[in-house]
Amino acid sequence: MIASALTTVMFYTIAAGMTVLALAVIFSRKLLRAAIALMAVLMLTAGLYILLHAEFLAGVQVLVYIGGIVVLIVFAIMLTRSADLLEDHPTPKRMIVGSIAGLAMLFGSCCAIFAPRPISEQVITPVPDDVRAIGLKLLDYGPEGYVLPFELISLLLLGAAIGGIVIARKIPAPDQPFTSGGDEAGEVHFTRPLSQREEETK
Amino acid sequence: MNAVLQFLAAHEPGQNHWLVLATVIFSIGIAGLLTRRNAVGILMAAELMLNSAALVFVIFNRFSAPSVDGQIMAIFIIAVAAAEAVIGMAIFVALFRYRQTIDVTQIALLRD
Repeated sequence: MIASALTTVMFYTIAAGMTVLALAVIFSRKLLRAAIALMAVLMLTAGLYILLHAEFLAGVQVLVYIGGIVVLIVFAIMLTRSADLLEDHPTPKRMIVGSIAGLAMLFGSCCAIFAPRPISEQVITPVPDDVRAIGLKLLDYGPEGYVLPFELISLLLLGAAIGGIVIARKIPAPDQPFTSGGDEAGEVHFTRPLSQREEETK
Repeated sequence: MNAVLQFLAAHEPGQNHWLVLATVIFSIGIAGLLTRRNAVGILMAAELMLNSAALVFVIFNRFSAPSVDGQIMAIFIIAVAAAEAVIGMAIFVALFRYRQTIDVTQIALLRD
């Protein structure tokens, strides 16, 4: 009984905190502050995973999301000087469209959630050895296994890493494919960074 | 004290409560996606939405199936979100170098 009571208290505390912090992510005028709020939301999600008996996933969430993605986003904010620029207030039109879309989504999916459907109220006991089951399933060749998506994800990550380097590189490599420098002769000029263009025109 | 405990234990969140929480976070993500003008802000809103989608998978895994399929899907979502963040950051850095801005209302080359 104490465990159930604790779950209730934890759930509603985390839910309230998460909603407030998610609103801070989208409405904060300082992007660095929004990034910290995003980090807190992801941390609270890890807490929810623990409440849902997905402890391994909670660890992955902290390692990958908070340790990797949020750090990348903070880097992106710093490198694009978004931290010193206060974001302009959104125009009323954007504000209205955004709120309407969000509320419509909320309304639509709440209708779907509360529509009558076969719902099993008895909680299924979690698989006893979670991590072991996940590992076996990820590398299972059978019809229930996930070895193909697992390998595809590794290809996706490799492609993302290479693509990130190629896109963000300052000067393209001499024989780099897919960077033609433009179809017209003059377009080469415009694919150079602004600073180099100014030096050339001087 | 005991009555409070009993009340709390009787109101343990069910499947619908969890789903509503995930929906609220997703809707906030949509609102942010359409309101923000800075591209990094849009990326953050997209991360919120991906996060709540992963949460929904874990919720259904907990309440509907005696297996770990939902958790594996959540792991895949986290990996895709990581790839997306890498590419997003690379594009923003390259864009900032060429245009000195990442305001999405200023970047309409394909629209014009």
